[in-house]
Amino acid sequence: MGEKRFMKGNEAIAEAAVRAGCRFFAGYPITPQNEIPEYLSWRLPEVGGSYVQGESEIASVNMVYGAAAMGTRSMTSSSGPGISLKAEGISYLAAAMLPALIVNISRGGPGLGSIQPAQSDYLQATKALGHGGFHAMVFAPASAQEAVDVVYEAWDYAERDRNPVLVLMDGCLGNIMEEVELPPMREFTDEDIPEWSLSRRNGRDYQGNITPIYTEPILEGLNAMAGEMYKAWEEDDVKVEEFLVEDAEYVVVAYGIAARVAKEAVMELRDKGFKVGLIRPITLYPFPKKSIHDLDYSRVKGIIDVEMTIPAQMHDDIAQQVMERCPIFEYGRSGGCLLDDEGVYEAIYDIVTGGGADNG
Amino acid sequence: MKQTFVFSGSGGQGIMSAGITLAQTAIAMGRHATYLPEYGPEQRGGSAKCTVVISDDPIVSPLPRRCDILITMNELSYRKFEEDLKPDGVLLANSCLVKSAEPRDDITLISAAVDDIALEVGNPKTANVILLGILIGATDVVRLDVFEESLKVKFGAKSPEVLAMNLDALSKGYALGQQYK
Repeated sequence: MGEKRFMKGNEAIAEAAVRAGCRFFAGYPITPQNEIPEYLSWRLPEVGGSYVQGESEIASVNMVYGAAAMGTRSMTSSSGPGISLKAEGISYLAAAMLPALIVNISRGGPGLGSIQPAQSDYLQATKALGHGGFHAMVFAPASAQEAVDVVYEAWDYAERDRNPVLVLMDGCLGNIMEEVELPPMREFTDEDIPEWSLSRRNGRDYQGNITPIYTEPILEGLNAMAGEMYKAWEEDDVKVEEFLVEDAEYVVVAYGIAARVAKEAVMELRDKGFKVGLIRPITLYPFPKKSIHDLDYSRVKGIIDVEMTIPAQMHDDIAQQVMERCPIFEYGRSGGCLLDDEGVYEAIYDIVTGGGADNG
Repeated sequence: MKQTFVFSGSGGQGIMSAGITLAQTAIAMGRHATYLPEYGPEQRGGSAKCTVVISDDPIVSPLPRRCDILITMNELSYRKFEEDLKPDGVLLANSCLVKSAEPRDDITLISAAVDDIALEVGNPKTANVILLGILIGATDVVRLDVFEESLKVKFGAKSPEVLAMNLDALSKGYALGQQYK
């Protein structure tokens, strides 16, 4: 049994990062993620790590770039507006093939939007986290516990792939306190520092982790390698929860906080005899295509995309797998207005009883 | 069993602290709890609200639309959240500031001069603990002795006087709450 604590999702992410071996954080304040830097500002020095509040988001992500080049498990966190500012640095991390954890505790958008929670950054996270056509694995935990679990493994993926990893969680889950069981502190020796890191030059004159401009054929080769890596993620690394899908006539697709609210609605509708199920992507990239593609569409009458943003951003990813075999409905709240159990129940109820609008 | 609580008032009235302590006590009793704070950009004086869900089973949705028990520390929060109280729910109002709460057939109204009692106890900041005392006395949501332990953890490190004052506030509230059981 691990250690149990009652923690905010943000604090749980910070503590899990430390236990996963994170020893460098740089960031810049923004609501609703401030508990992450606040926590790490005292926690990292306790374990011999370094915490920097940078002068800006851009400076912070570039500090992470530097620390990652040294082989240190490094991270930064922000919310939508700040992630946009960090986009350049994240793209550079991907170009330099450096592992790092980026956390986005999302809020209403676009622009400065609202400080209140929203799931408005799905498209940014999964399609274009920065320029240049790269992808990062995107994890979307739905509880403080799941946030701990994914953060604890985040650098294992990032170092395996030499690529940044994104954790996308909305401000609601960032600020909810709930019980978490914490894993043990992972211990590393110098031998665990990756071979490619600048701190293990081993007499080599040059090691190019801070990348200059690439020449054409080399860059094309790296792009192709990245493409192969993304394909491999789809085979090996998809994480998804399927709940009561086997005989479902209507399948809700939702992630993060929306999935939790939707799951309760699904349970209540099942109690009343409606055959409703839930597919919850835990990895948004790679997207759980197969779970949606392989549904039996002779039985499934509709997919219901529930998100805490308007319009729903997962719609196109779902539609690609549904291939017009059934209608796709949407329900959401947006701009910092929260989903709630009764609202989601009523929306799904209306759809399964024939009253909902088809947005497919 | 699952119960939802909304604590509401203005920043500085101990709303968030009350919600956290209640949730922690429920967990100490082996139940499950979630706590969601909601506030605006203000540091002080803005509206403060938190939602606590307590259940015997793991909590699926931490975002209820309506609550079983509504605690309002001022008039503004009463007016804002009254409609979120379920039928058969309990409304606990600080009568020093909530002036328009009328008894209704479909809810239980507990109206108590929490701020005045806090002054009797010796510190206006104990109002939230008195409120929790009333809540525990009236509803048995958590056990009094387990809640006392939570207060000891919370205030024990500060000073014995602060702890004693809060325990006094708790017992005064509890005695009052039992009248509504």
